[in-house]
Amino acid sequence: MSSIHAALEIGTTRTVLAIGEAQSGGRFKVTCHAEIPSSGIRKSQILSIPDATQSVRSVLREIERRQDAAGAKVTIGNAMLAVSGQHILATHADGQAIVDSGKVGDSEMQEAARRLREIPIPKGRELLDIVDQDYVLDNLGGITSPRGMSGKVLKLNALQIHADANRLQDARSAAEGAHLEIREPVFAATCAADAVLEDHERRNGALVLDLGGGSTGYAVYSDGYLLSAGVIGVGGDHVTNDIAHAFQTTNAQAERLKLDEASAMLGQYSPETARVHVSGFSALMDSRTISRRSLDTVVNARFKELFTVVRETLEEQDLFHRLHSGIVLTGGGAGMREIDALAGQELGMNVRIGRPIHVDGLENEKESWKYSAVAGALLYAHANFEEKSILDGIFGRFFK
Amino acid sequence: MSDVSPMLLIGIGTAGAKIARGVSRAYGDDLRFTLADTDASTGEGGGDFTLLGGDRLSGRGSGGDIVAARLAAEDSVQSLDSRLEGVRLAVIATCLGGGTGGGATLEALRRLSSLGIPAIVFATTPFMFEGQDRQRNARGVMSMIEDAASATFFLPLDKLVAGEDNMESAMRRAIDTVAGGITLFWRLIEKPGYIKLDADRLRHLLSSAGRGRFSVVSTQGTNRASEAVEKLVESELLATASAPARAILCGVLAGEDLRLSELGIVADGVRNAFGDHASFALGTVNDEATFCGRLAVVVMVFESKSVDPEDQPEPGAPNGGRRRRRSAKGGSSLGVGPSGRGRFNNAEPTIWHGEDLDIPTFIRHGINLDF
Repeated sequence: MSSIHAALEIGTTRTVLAIGEAQSGGRFKVTCHAEIPSSGIRKSQILSIPDATQSVRSVLREIERRQDAAGAKVTIGNAMLAVSGQHILATHADGQAIVDSGKVGDSEMQEAARRLREIPIPKGRELLDIVDQDYVLDNLGGITSPRGMSGKVLKLNALQIHADANRLQDARSAAEGAHLEIREPVFAATCAADAVLEDHERRNGALVLDLGGGSTGYAVYSDGYLLSAGVIGVGGDHVTNDIAHAFQTTNAQAERLKLDEASAMLGQYSPETARVHVSGFSALMDSRTISRRSLDTVVNARFKELFTVVRETLEEQDLFHRLHSGIVLTGGGAGMREIDALAGQELGMNVRIGRPIHVDGLENEKESWKYSAVAGALLYAHANFEEKSILDGIFGRFFK
Repeated sequence: MSDVSPMLLIGIGTAGAKIARGVSRAYGDDLRFTLADTDASTGEGGGDFTLLGGDRLSGRGSGGDIVAARLAAEDSVQSLDSRLEGVRLAVIATCLGGGTGGGATLEALRRLSSLGIPAIVFATTPFMFEGQDRQRNARGVMSMIEDAASATFFLPLDKLVAGEDNMESAMRRAIDTVAGGITLFWRLIEKPGYIKLDADRLRHLLSSAGRGRFSVVSTQGTNRASEAVEKLVESELLATASAPARAILCGVLAGEDLRLSELGIVADGVRNAFGDHASFALGTVNDEATFCGRLAVVVMVFESKSVDPEDQPEPGAPNGGRRRRRSAKGGSSLGVGPSGRGRFNNAEPTIWHGEDLDIPTFIRHGINLDF
């Protein structure tokens, strides 16, 4: 029997739900996905559980409508939850084992892993993931498989990714209000990376930037494993806010200007004299035009600053020079016009837009980068919960 | 009426405790102070001491972990309550960069706030050579401390002891300097001379003062007043202003030989140098035994907490320059307040190198727009 999984992302601007099914040959296919505008969320954090619940309810209804139209109906009982927000931290941890026999065997590797998983996280935090990195045997690091090697002390390095427990509970409450059980929360940026990164990029060194509405998640890979991850509390909503403030528009007008008109680069799209039409938002306000150059200047300044923060964050961790394969931009913000060109200019390396390449079913989706995090969360579920399905939720039912 | 001082000095962390003990030595037995640290050995130096998070950290310190220190302080902070009876103003001395200075100070401020006690924080920030981890630790809590405290003074160690080469003597000098400054501040309030700072005005000034800059100079000789002003103007600690001065507190400490003309020179000089439109409060301390022949001037400059971006000068424009053009329509009814935080008004701020990234970049960078 094939396993079916669902993944939810309650984002600042969009609530996204996707379901998918394991295929023969080990691939995973997204069979249905939907998104609706979010409400009650700021900077990736829920400010109103009833509003967020309504968003989840609406996206569930939309998925069911689409399933109906396709001739099959799934009532989803549980889902993975892809989370973001600047409350998420990744901290280094290690587990050690004494190598009594002088030669590393399975028991020492298991002991190091066991000790690693016993390390507590701070009070008020909830563990999202422990990501194993490399082994260190005495002073020799970077070991991927220490079995049979000689030494005295074996250490397993890892990243503990954890989040504010209250913020996660808020997301669970919002989902449960819509009768959707959260199977497990997972970090959106590493999920997105799992969906978009090529294997050679993981090995040679790459940065994945998940450009969300309320925040920007990052994940740095080299030598095949995750070196660092975190969240910068700036996202596409900041661009919208900047535009609204600069041109005294409503947020809805600013969002439209950002999506339809603005460019991250100052160049061919922003000649000095070009004007952009802003329609009136009520009968009391006339339509007007604004300078395209100024619009792009506002957007350019915000993204340049974001990339500077990214650069300095990685330089502080001595990681920037390890990105030999460059940078992969994904998430909703990756659709910003010329964002890849600006990132390349500001960070001085190859940049590409990351679409989910390790799942099927999104090939015809024009803006598939918006679904990277939920696609990665589905892959996580596929790898870790193969024996289960979305039937197991508290309200799960499955009809064919 | 009780003789117990309504002011309490709290030294947090190992270095904070050293500062508090320094103030105690200089001020005398009248000083009401207490110490708190996650490291039990700090208590061995004497003075009233609270071990923070003994069960959690076993008295071994926080190991530079702000989260651990904050949790330790959360476990123990209520034990400070017995020391807070009758306290109307708390002054916290600490050093940022490690775990306890930042983490425990935040918890102490939260407790003080819940009891309605205003707090002033004097905190040193790490030397540049101490590395980015300690710099990042300090930066991470500065804005939170600023939000939680009534007034804050962040004192960069590099500026406090510029030119000092030896690490140990640099730290000692830094601690002595901060302790000296707090001592003079204490005297100004508790042992005033001929000119007393008006209590209501002082309370008002300090209750919502925000981030301040602080320096102390000492001079002697016939031109001591003018030289004090010159030293203040040249002081690195008063040099970095990110916003116009909102208020200035100036204390002149001297022996019986203090002349009225000297007060005039100091008051005019300080006002002219740091903000002639700012609210100005002057006080004196007369202490013949300590200041015979000498003049010490302590100056606190409080900046405006937030600056209306519309009033910020254009980059490169002298004297404020041309104002950025206002839109004829919309305004605050469109939901974007004057600070520019707009929809982020009630959200947790994103602070980077002391800047609030929720405020539009073009405003913070002073980018001029054509409409």
